[in-house]
Amino acid sequence: MSSYKITPPARQAGRGDPSGRKLPTPRGQGLDGLNPNFTRRGLIQSLASCAAFGALGSMGAISQNAMAAAADRKFLFFFAPGGWDATPLDPKYGVGGTDMDPNTILGTAGNLTYSSGDDRLAMDLFFQNWFDRTAILRGINGHSVAHDTAELWMLTGQGMPGAPDWPTILGTSGAIDYPMPHLVFSGPSFPGRLGAAVVRGGGGSLLDLIDGSMLGYADQNAPVHVSAVDTMIDAHVWREGKRFADQYTGLGRVRADAFLSSLEKTTELEGRQFEAGLRGRTQSTTLDQALMALEVMRLGLTRCAMIRIPGSWDTHDGNQGVGPQLDEFFGTLDAVMAHMSRTPGSTTGYLADEVTVICLSEFGRTPRFNGGQGRDHWAYASGLAFGAGVNGNRAIGETDDSLFSMPVDFATGRPSMSGDIVGSENLGAAILEMGGVDLNQYMPGVQPLSALHGGNV
Amino acid sequence: MRSTPLVCLVLAAFTGCGGPDLSTEEAVTELLTPRQQLIRVSVDLRGVHPSEADLAAVDANPGLYGDFVDEYMLDPRFRIEMEDMYNRVLRTRTGDTYFDPAMAGLDPDDLGVADSIGTEPLKLIGHVIDQDLPFTEIVLAEYTFADSNVAAMWDLQRESGSGWTQATYRDGRPMAGVLSSTTLWQRYPSSGVNANRHRANQVSRMFLCDDYLTRPLEFTRNDTQDLADADPQDVINQSDTCQSCHSTLDPLGAHFFGFWWERDVDSLSAMRTYRPQDELLWESYAGRAPGYFGNPTTGVRELGSELAADVRFSDCAVETAVEGLMQYHSNDADWSDLQRHRAAFETGGLVYRDLIRSVVSSDAYRAKSFVDDTGERIPVVKTVSPRQLANIIEDKTGYVLSFDGVDALRTNDMGLATLAGGIDGRFIVNRSYEPSVSSAFVHERLSQAAGFRVAAHDLNPARTEDATLLVHVSVNHNPETHRVLFEQQIMHLHRTVLGLPIEADSPQIEESIALWKQIYSVTSSPTTAWAGVITATLRSPRILFY
Repeated sequence: MSSYKITPPARQAGRGDPSGRKLPTPRGQGLDGLNPNFTRRGLIQSLASCAAFGALGSMGAISQNAMAAAADRKFLFFFAPGGWDATPLDPKYGVGGTDMDPNTILGTAGNLTYSSGDDRLAMDLFFQNWFDRTAILRGINGHSVAHDTAELWMLTGQGMPGAPDWPTILGTSGAIDYPMPHLVFSGPSFPGRLGAAVVRGGGGSLLDLIDGSMLGYADQNAPVHVSAVDTMIDAHVWREGKRFADQYTGLGRVRADAFLSSLEKTTELEGRQFEAGLRGRTQSTTLDQALMALEVMRLGLTRCAMIRIPGSWDTHDGNQGVGPQLDEFFGTLDAVMAHMSRTPGSTTGYLADEVTVICLSEFGRTPRFNGGQGRDHWAYASGLAFGAGVNGNRAIGETDDSLFSMPVDFATGRPSMSGDIVGSENLGAAILEMGGVDLNQYMPGVQPLSALHGGNV
Repeated sequence: MRSTPLVCLVLAAFTGCGGPDLSTEEAVTELLTPRQQLIRVSVDLRGVHPSEADLAAVDANPGLYGDFVDEYMLDPRFRIEMEDMYNRVLRTRTGDTYFDPAMAGLDPDDLGVADSIGTEPLKLIGHVIDQDLPFTEIVLAEYTFADSNVAAMWDLQRESGSGWTQATYRDGRPMAGVLSSTTLWQRYPSSGVNANRHRANQVSRMFLCDDYLTRPLEFTRNDTQDLADADPQDVINQSDTCQSCHSTLDPLGAHFFGFWWERDVDSLSAMRTYRPQDELLWESYAGRAPGYFGNPTTGVRELGSELAADVRFSDCAVETAVEGLMQYHSNDADWSDLQRHRAAFETGGLVYRDLIRSVVSSDAYRAKSFVDDTGERIPVVKTVSPRQLANIIEDKTGYVLSFDGVDALRTNDMGLATLAGGIDGRFIVNRSYEPSVSSAFVHERLSQAAGFRVAAHDLNPARTEDATLLVHVSVNHNPETHRVLFEQQIMHLHRTVLGLPIEADSPQIEESIALWKQIYSVTSSPTTAWAGVITATLRSPRILFY
């Protein structure tokens, strides 16, 4: 079982311990008013330590120090539970081993190929607009054809529960200590031992909690403390929490520290909610959720987000629904990329240079239709990556005419007899590299599919 | 009882004792205080803190701990906590009704229907535990439990009485406790090609603690190629890799074809009625007759009997209890401790209370600290569930967070329970024991609302009921003129809310008074100031952790 040793010297030193778990940001910046990184989170500690009262107006900005590009990147994950058909992104027209959806033809955009058809016109739109920023992932071995296990494999690189997934690791490994490291709007989440990093329910309930408006419509309703009072209470609770935490070691200490860390992050969110303009936004569609995710990323509140791709992808009983579902999803992706390409980022000119979008499913589907014109489970999956750091306009990974994964050179993503089959762990390692994560801490010995970023990490 | 760990601690310096050879019990280096132990066991067994009278009693005589354990296991809330623990195993409380309740004459907007449906098999387990029946009854019982919602949805004949009562399915299905539950098999459906294997694996996971999906497998390319080209069933039958699971999985799955409802999803009757005529469909699908790890069986009733006789069934019950109460995943180092609990469980005839008593009486359960390696693996700080958090706050303050009558934390209808670290049974199947931003917000807002309500009530000069928490102060008091009363009030808050008395010279008193002054200086409202102090007290880690 994974564990991590917490020792006072490591904690005071700040950003990590020997096991790779990142510890809270160094504290004790004080109320000197000169620290450019001063935040409301720091304020509660200062209030807690000196019981001071004042300076409540100095809340807000997160550091924008120049940092490594990889560590500054944000990641927006889309996931299609059920196992989506690989052939729309890995088309096999005119070969015997694979049945393609009827009424579809080969689509091309730059070097990319995909299945095009009247029921999925948005795929053409997306690829024509963004092929140069987009990589198609093919032949990724999910190691299982059981939904739950394959989800684990695809998102953690392991078949056993307990390991954190890619977005959770990335969320805790950024250049700054995010208030909401990984925000799960919908879809799967495997927090592993990093549960404190995962904020669930990016929908309305969370927003109503952040601003306290929920209490106004409770059956036994109650007002919300004004901000200044809230901060005083936070400081009091933090001091009590610190006293509590200091009594413990080991896993008990980890939980107590997570209490303190979460308290600091809630305080910061309360202080910055006005910036986020979160009120009034709806959460009803995938695009709504994506735009919300991009907004909180832009504000430095979140590094990663997970959104479920709607639809019934487990198409044993017929594949006819896939095209319309893809049409809707790629329409969303096109709008997402358009938004990213015109919205300023927090560390770069535009979010398109700061946010990497990854679209996955737990596995693919059989190359041949079954008796019901559906497809059954297939271990080799396809996916999509676009945006910041993605080595675009190329397919990475390869399958043969029967959708079997072929060995590839991980540096180029092209077929190579001296290469290897791409596993979900190789893809995950590359994604972590794109986020500046030291692979030795999480995936020692795993070769990253570096073609995904082309060395641009 | 404490001699072994202490001896070991002394020896550690000389012999290296403290390494992986220590059992969990031996790795304990310090126990919680009697008061803290009682809080821990009360939260686990009843979902609330003990009364101050109970705490004072165990303070005076720590030997009363065992008596309180027995008393708390007779509390009606014990059954609720056990049902909640087994929901983390069965994962049936998903918020699903599986088909429109209006088809059964129920209000489709009534969120309580989904709660009832998800609770059906859990009520049977709770009953078995509560009535001290052999735990094997959960897979042998000739009955289930139903309230009016479940009876209408699943067509059950209830015994007379309100609320949950024993009930029987009108379709006359073979009964084997929860193995015959419509809720369970609606929760875990099986499509045709799957041949009930999903269900078979769930039986293994839930009752044998053996999840087939966690088994490491290596498929050859030939295996995979054959799956594409040949009849998959032939491949499964011929591949050694496949057979390592399917040789036992498929016969387990063959028991459930009578619960195969998928073909008529628009028909209420088809969705809930057992189909004896389909019991032999295994011949057309996996082609493996019903059996239990090599023993042929005739149906689901014999499956229940085989499970009940399997030593892994009781092992799994022990593992579930230990992991549920101690909030960690057991491993080989816990073997001797698990065996001791199992012995206690078996000695009394598989009565679950005996098992619980054994666990909560152990040093490991009552530990404040372990030697290093064990402390990295087993938490000495335990985290309350969303339900327990709601219970504790209500017990202390009377406040319930609900919306339109829907309990926000004891159900997941609003999603708040998952935000607070709970499970939804479908997408989130493991509790989050580490506080997160969302759980911190839930705790904060719940405490705020409770704090305001208590302060507004207690400081209302016109109130006629007793004060809830503010028994020493009034709206006219302030710390400058009534210092002693403020000190007494804050000591009272610590004792009654946190269960841990503080001394008159404790820094917490000065800090709480300072907080009161700070808030008052901003709001000029003694009620708001006291609301803030109560909120801060309720947000203590001593409420969230136990």
